[in-house]
Amino acid sequence: MTLKTLNLNAFKPVWLMGLIPPVLFLLWWDHEAVKGGANALAFVSLAQVGQALIDMFATGELGLSYGSSLGRALSGLLIGGGIGTLVGIAMGLSKPIEWAASPIYNSFRQVPILGWLPLIGLWFGSGDLSKLIIVALSAFYPTVLYTFEGLKQVEARLLDVARVYRLSGWQTFWRIQWPAALPSIFTGLFQALAFTWISTIGVELLFSSGAGLGAMMQQAQLQARLDIVLVCILFVGLTGFAINFLIKRLSQHVLSWRSIRA
Amino acid sequence: MKPDLKLILSVGSPLLLLIVWQAVTAFKLFPPEVLVSPTAVIAAFGEVITTGELQRHLSESLTRLAGGFTTGASLGLLFGLALALSKTVERVFGPTFQALRQVPVLAFIPMLILLLGIDEVFKIVIIAKAAFFPVALAAYDSVKGVPKSYFEVSSLYRAPWWVLISKILIPATIPNILAGVRLSLTRSWLVLVAAELIVADSGLGQMMEMGRQMFRLDIVMVGVIVAGVIGFALDRLFQLLQAHALRWKTA
Repeated sequence: MTLKTLNLNAFKPVWLMGLIPPVLFLLWWDHEAVKGGANALAFVSLAQVGQALIDMFATGELGLSYGSSLGRALSGLLIGGGIGTLVGIAMGLSKPIEWAASPIYNSFRQVPILGWLPLIGLWFGSGDLSKLIIVALSAFYPTVLYTFEGLKQVEARLLDVARVYRLSGWQTFWRIQWPAALPSIFTGLFQALAFTWISTIGVELLFSSGAGLGAMMQQAQLQARLDIVLVCILFVGLTGFAINFLIKRLSQHVLSWRSIRA
Repeated sequence: MKPDLKLILSVGSPLLLLIVWQAVTAFKLFPPEVLVSPTAVIAAFGEVITTGELQRHLSESLTRLAGGFTTGASLGLLFGLALALSKTVERVFGPTFQALRQVPVLAFIPMLILLLGIDEVFKIVIIAKAAFFPVALAAYDSVKGVPKSYFEVSSLYRAPWWVLISKILIPATIPNILAGVRLSLTRSWLVLVAAELIVADSGLGQMMEMGRQMFRLDIVMVGVIVAGVIGFALDRLFQLLQAHALRWKTA
């Protein structure tokens, strides 16, 4: 008897239970869409969403928008992350720079990132440059912070070693401080990656001229094309998932590297 | 000598920035549509306060924030606890929760506009969604992270369930949950400003967006500063609350 229950439990496909809410939701959604009525305009059937996905693939629209969003996020990461790392290094190595820069850094950081958009828009127009600046800014903040903290947390005994060996300032930085701060710098870059994706979608929603998933969604919203909006959400979400997955994997790698060295 | 230099630099650098800004505008290096002076920004600040515009927008934004944040954070707390404490809830809702968590909140704005319109409901829902996930995740993670031995001790002492909750679960999880709530407050403010910029009909975001469209750089700058100060104040306020709630930890 116990053996039988055990077997039953072993075969119970537990993960299938996780499908209950989405399937129920989709059934209800499709029912609303097909039934029509008050919300018929808003709800679109699953078949329509599928069709939109196929159409957007076929016309190359989806590929174009997706590519331009991804390109924006990555170039923002590169620019903002690069400058941020340099600023973080400067603040981490020189106390006067730290004292002078941190009040400015901390007060600018308080403004919600998309709140800069109207101002940047007035200065640089509502084109790609403004969007890139905001996306780069969203990568800048975390990289400065984590680079700075990483350098600040370098153990004193490691610096003592540098002094004993009479390493020059550059050697101390390159051989000791930089490697010791690297895990923290990576953490900052990973955060920056996640932030750039979010802010890319945000700026594209707000300045919806030009290409990009956010722009595509916003334009579809104005035309009341929920099917297109949903396809975009799907791709934004999948990318978010891929980024989170990548971060998890990479940080395991980075952390394991550190524990071996320690 | 050293602390003096620190004071000079940390007060001096923002001050220098202001002076350079004022000087650049005084010498008219840029046309006023491109850069307005700090004094003009202060004047604009006075203007939006005397007309009552700022107070009106700000109270709309903050009411919205309060409604959306409280709804989202409390639902998130309940959901996170249920997810952590019940195997069934975890199996049924866990995957959906994890999947929805991957989508940036901002991406839901166009869909919600189509489904809910651009009224108050939409804004409350989008803020609530922004507040929901960090709290739910923190609650779930921290309850899951309570060591098994705590439960063993409580069953060893035959502690009734309310003692288990009040003496063990709450003290063990509250620091992480509060950290989640703090994150969700910051996110809510960010999403609120974004939503008001997109659906510019009222609130601080609308004031900034209108300023942009009318080329009122001074008003836009007032908006940026106010958005920053409010964000900072909310976070600082919550930090104080957090410290007060957790004062037993250091004792």
